[in-house]
Amino acid sequence: MMMKRKIAVIGLDSVPPEMMFQKLLDKLPNIKRMYERGIHGSLETCHPPITVPAWMVMMTGKNPGKLGIYGFRHRRGFSYNDGYIVNSTSVKEKTVWEILSEHGKSSIVLGVPPGYPPKQVKNCNIVSCFITPGIEKTFTHPQELKDEVLEVSGGNYIFDVTFRTENREKIKEELFEMTSKRFDVAEYLAQTKPWDFFVMHEIGFDRLHHAFWKFFDPSHPKYVKGTQYEKLDEEYYRFVDERIGRLLEIFGEECITFLLSDHGSKGMSGAFCVNQWLEAEGYLRFKKKPQTVLDFDKAEVDWERTSAWGWGGYYARIFFNVRGREKNGVIDPERLEDEKKKLSQKISSIKDNSGRKMKNLVLEPERIYGVASGDKPDLMVYFDDLNWRSAGTVGHPSLYLFENDTGPDDSVHSMNGIFLVYDPKKRDLSLDGNGAKELEGARIEDIAPTLLELFGLDGVKDKKELFVGMDGRTLSSVIRALD
Amino acid sequence: MAPQPPKYSTVSIPYTLHDRIEKMISKKTGFKSVSDYVTYVLREVVAMHESKEVPEPFTVKDVEEIKSRLKALGYL
Repeated sequence: MMMKRKIAVIGLDSVPPEMMFQKLLDKLPNIKRMYERGIHGSLETCHPPITVPAWMVMMTGKNPGKLGIYGFRHRRGFSYNDGYIVNSTSVKEKTVWEILSEHGKSSIVLGVPPGYPPKQVKNCNIVSCFITPGIEKTFTHPQELKDEVLEVSGGNYIFDVTFRTENREKIKEELFEMTSKRFDVAEYLAQTKPWDFFVMHEIGFDRLHHAFWKFFDPSHPKYVKGTQYEKLDEEYYRFVDERIGRLLEIFGEECITFLLSDHGSKGMSGAFCVNQWLEAEGYLRFKKKPQTVLDFDKAEVDWERTSAWGWGGYYARIFFNVRGREKNGVIDPERLEDEKKKLSQKISSIKDNSGRKMKNLVLEPERIYGVASGDKPDLMVYFDDLNWRSAGTVGHPSLYLFENDTGPDDSVHSMNGIFLVYDPKKRDLSLDGNGAKELEGARIEDIAPTLLELFGLDGVKDKKELFVGMDGRTLSSVIRALD
Repeated sequence: MAPQPPKYSTVSIPYTLHDRIEKMISKKTGFKSVSDYVTYVLREVVAMHESKEVPEPFTVKDVEEIKSRLKALGYL
């Protein structure tokens, strides 16, 4: 029965349940209708809680270790300074739309990251994601779809806003324009292309949060009251709500719609200078101590006397300088495990600028994923429950920065995104037939197997094969409720 | 003497695509027929898929631009 229905996923990057389901719900008529009639909950994200890999974890059902993807950028092999940007070709596991394609189903895939370069998948119309360098590139599959996307978006489809926070008015203007065009394209594709599965991703929420959070959240450590951005969260969420309402009309009665986000957001406390801390602890040495603020790869590191270094971002990646692995490695491979433990203990006792012990979390890829393939870090660190981001730059007068080291920033990531499913044919979806509407314990890995189960795929002899290697499990209570 | 196995096989493509290719190659030199063109393109594509090396999708300039974008966003 399910297989005859269409399924849509509207992906809203970085939306936390507290914003969507609490603070702003009453201002969002379409989402409120979905919320009241459907099933909702928090969606626990993966480690690390970052857009890349999170959307691919959601769409493959496999954890970042299996995907071998740990963030937007990886170091190449065991080099010190050579890195690469993760892109669609880095994803070797099959996505939901690739599996559906093998079973004769059609999909529309709009902007799901990392989606550049667009993969050539039969029965799919694909538009690449915000990592796309520009509209001059081939950003669609099939190629001729590009002309249609450009026509629908007035000749200038916008992948991402230009993030220069000194001019917030410009960001605001671009944000609305970008999202408007994305939904224009979404509407166009949903109306003109064949599809059983529709999935779109909107990056605008993440940009709104990073650029404006301190203006609309009174609990932000640097809350700025009374600016013209005081209600920008409401303004933007309402704007998207209206566009979602229009999309739901187009999707029609036969479509089950999911509203999902890849992680949440919260106010940023500050940035912790991981490399300067490693230097102070004797792990990292410079040939010439940086006198001004520098990117780490521009600093003169004394690799022959350095045993560990780190990367910045919303979480820190720590690499050890291992003999026989790195070019000028100093740590005996047999001592690596001990060194990891020792450093983890030291990281656990780091204090913040006020002397309070941070709630730091140190993760080891092999331990949390089972398999950790690809260019993984040796350790992954969340400073103070992610409230502090990691600054990789060096040459700061203090270990603690109260602005992003690479420009002002207002928000960091949190571990819970949103889950909402809505079936227009059922006015009162319930998990137990008794009115229970809040789903507990859903994880981002569970989405792919749940979508595939909903599609039924009756022709598949051994359905279990579809789920081999997936870390998620089907959300059976949701499937029962929708049946 | 045993008969030689056939060297060519027939593959079907939509007429619309056939006509587009025919029109395209009539304007350019080098391809004698639609089959000639299709064989050339498929060899390239299959070789790419058989190769373990995936071509780098970003130019050096792209990488610098993406890095500065990600940096400004706090991801690096």
